[in-house]
Amino acid sequence: MKKRLMALVLAGAMAFSLAACGGNSSSSDSASEAAESESAESEEAESSTDSESTGNNTVVIAMGSGFDTLDPGQVYEKYPQMIINACYETLFKFYSNDGSAEPMLVDTYEFSEDNTVLTLTLKDGITFASGNTMTSADVAFSLNRTKNLQGNPAFITDTIDSIETPDDKTVVINLTQPDGAILSKLAYSACSILDSAVVTENGGSDAEDAATADTAQAYLDSTSAGSGMFVMTSYIPDSEIVLEKNPSYWGESTNVDKYIIQIQDDANTQMMTLSTGDIDIACNMTEDTMSELEGTDGITLLNSSTKTVSFLMMNMDESIGGPVSDPKVQQAIRLAVDYAGIQTICGEGTTTPYSIIQDGFFGSLGQRSTDYTDLDAAKALLEEAGYPDGFDVDLTVCDLAMEGIPLTDLAQKVASDLAQIGINVNIVSEAWAAGYGDDYRDGKLGFTVMYWGIDYNDPNVQLEFLPGGVVGLRAGWTAEMDADIAELYTKATNATEDADREAVLKEIQEATYEYGPFVMLAQAPCPMAYNSRLSGVAFSDPYTVDLTQVNVQ
Amino acid sequence: MDRLRFIGKRLLYLVVMLFGVATLVFILTKLIPGDPVTANLSQRALSDESVVAAYRAKYGLDKPVIIQYLLYMKSLISFDLGTSIRTNNAVLDELARCYPATIELALVAIIFATIFGIFFGIISAVKRNSIIDQIVRAISVTGVSLPSFWFALIMLFFFYFKLQIFPGPGRLSTSFSAPATVTGMYVIDSLLEGNPAKALDALSHLILPAIVLAAFTMGLITRTTRSNLLDVMSTDYIRTAKAKGLSGTGLILYHALGNALIPVLTVIGLGLGNLLGGMVLVETIFNWPGVGQFAYQSVMANDYPSIIGVALLIALNYMVINTIVDILYGIIDPRVRVS
Repeated sequence: MKKRLMALVLAGAMAFSLAACGGNSSSSDSASEAAESESAESEEAESSTDSESTGNNTVVIAMGSGFDTLDPGQVYEKYPQMIINACYETLFKFYSNDGSAEPMLVDTYEFSEDNTVLTLTLKDGITFASGNTMTSADVAFSLNRTKNLQGNPAFITDTIDSIETPDDKTVVINLTQPDGAILSKLAYSACSILDSAVVTENGGSDAEDAATADTAQAYLDSTSAGSGMFVMTSYIPDSEIVLEKNPSYWGESTNVDKYIIQIQDDANTQMMTLSTGDIDIACNMTEDTMSELEGTDGITLLNSSTKTVSFLMMNMDESIGGPVSDPKVQQAIRLAVDYAGIQTICGEGTTTPYSIIQDGFFGSLGQRSTDYTDLDAAKALLEEAGYPDGFDVDLTVCDLAMEGIPLTDLAQKVASDLAQIGINVNIVSEAWAAGYGDDYRDGKLGFTVMYWGIDYNDPNVQLEFLPGGVVGLRAGWTAEMDADIAELYTKATNATEDADREAVLKEIQEATYEYGPFVMLAQAPCPMAYNSRLSGVAFSDPYTVDLTQVNVQ
Repeated sequence: MDRLRFIGKRLLYLVVMLFGVATLVFILTKLIPGDPVTANLSQRALSDESVVAAYRAKYGLDKPVIIQYLLYMKSLISFDLGTSIRTNNAVLDELARCYPATIELALVAIIFATIFGIFFGIISAVKRNSIIDQIVRAISVTGVSLPSFWFALIMLFFFYFKLQIFPGPGRLSTSFSAPATVTGMYVIDSLLEGNPAKALDALSHLILPAIVLAAFTMGLITRTTRSNLLDVMSTDYIRTAKAKGLSGTGLILYHALGNALIPVLTVIGLGLGNLLGGMVLVETIFNWPGVGQFAYQSVMANDYPSIIGVALLIALNYMVINTIVDILYGIIDPRVRVS
């Protein structure tokens, strides 16, 4: 009996010791103590510690994971943009998905005659959540920090040479070259203006050695330090982010008091939680879950086309690409792809861009017709290229998905399309993190299907698909191979007037419509659903949903 | 004294083993193809040599592998698991953040599995070859065979979505904020905060994922309990007890069950070790920020300090659990202690 008792005690000790191993976790912030109980007033009465009610206008959002920080100087992934946009502000902003970048914190701005100096004047009365007034020094600190952190979004400041602050309101940005996309770049999350006093106090640095000297990420992952409509009060990685209204916001706020953003990777889970009323916005629906919700009272469905694009890449280097390096074969493949079929696979809202610049961008020539497919012409081209009976080729595909659509699904569709003209595709699957990524970056893949999400909301982001561009080089397409097309890169970058930009962008699209190593397959859709009690929920490429425009009806 | 020597040996073995695990995982992460830089930098950043170089320098990836290993081991000696390449936070902090969530879930799951597993095992053995036995065996086989991600979705669909008996994914309802962190386990922390309503809410969120995780271990415990109880019931001392007039519940609970549970203890220990390692798919479906999700994302990012950290944690779990189970053996069965 005694031994049994001891055994029980030990078993209890085992459980207790494991429990004690829990240690201290610092992810939840007691500052976020708030219980806005919508449904249980009695609960509020009972739980005195959860008494800081934030009112009824709490909106719960479900979105996918895949990000590890909310430090604006480090963030580049898709979903954090939504959060950064709610907590921080930028000099310029995209107020609508089809529009261009418009002044936000900026009162007036002007370019020098040679377009290499941008002079900005800040609006009066802008304050951070801390109460500090925003000055030009904060702007210089924020942009320099992003540049010197040398993190993922550092490229956004590539054309910024130096920043001068002649007075508290004036910012002079000296560019290394004319940059037609600079206003769009300044609207990107990495160019959010931080409260430099607060960030510096918490380890932030904008010095040249910021990559190693700056230690503010931990702080910026626990709270925000911006001038936005909301303040981040809690961030539990891979689980939940809480944003509460900035009580001292300098502008006009929406009537939402609090956002709770839950990480839910699974579309079915999002569908269920939206249906039961546990969440208000589901950001990652699929065609199936959208059908499930169709006709449900109180739920609005939203199907939009994004600017994330999937494409086939055929290496121009014959030693790597083999037959697919031949421009005639490339065109045959372009003609053999069943674009309508691919749009069906990707779901409602999918489009195929006319060329390398997505539909919806300024200067885009729109969509490629689904009637473009012409198998006879494709076979004729193969014959011309010396492959009358087709050939065997490996199509490498990785484990990534474009907006929830596995690239393997697209690879299989391409394989079946190409079989119709005698090209026997052998699909080779590889993991992105275990080799594919390195090979893709180093331009070692002969034939692959991949996707590209836009970094900043400007057509110039697509210039990387030109010879000598980042993606062009991955396809072995050097500037020397097609000097005429390569020149368009600089021409487009240097064009700052709308008419000039439009003209050069058109030239680029025509040049790559039926030529080059890329076959643009589809612009992914973004199926979303939300509770009809909300207004102002709209898809936005830069922010997914602009939370500063959402209201509770 | 013997017991102290036994525990001392185990601790020494534990230290050696942890260094062995760290070395092995370090080598493996370096052997598999893939570069942490590629996994963590954006496509655009990868094309900028200065960004890539700064990233390598920041995490010491620019040093020869052997130097990286020695530096890692040096920091390990001072209980520093390094910095996560993926999140840029201390690995120890990351584990401290996600481990309590896993412990909380694993403990509830193992309690479910143990209670129902032993109960079903006893019923099955006592009613051997009856229809009840057949049903219990079918349940245990189903529990072992069910793919957990599928079972998780089914449970959510019926008990949350359709019947709305249990709450949905997450650790708390949105009407509550996370309790101030003491242990990191929401039920306990809510009670410490003096908020029983929040504790109850946290407990209700544990039930569905715990049932899903318990299913496999419960099936094993049921089968092990049944077979061992049947073995014990056919031994001489039980026959003697029967001959002396003992029968029914008393015979099983006071004479047979104790001996039959020794192998079950091993199964419980292994089950708990397994659960404490984290369950990626179940954690993902139930939006549970535990070790499984952290491990998965670390692997996908080739974040070797975090991968080693998780491996060490899992090894430590098993070592601690096995040591406690061994001690329990010795207490329950003197033959083990003597050997």
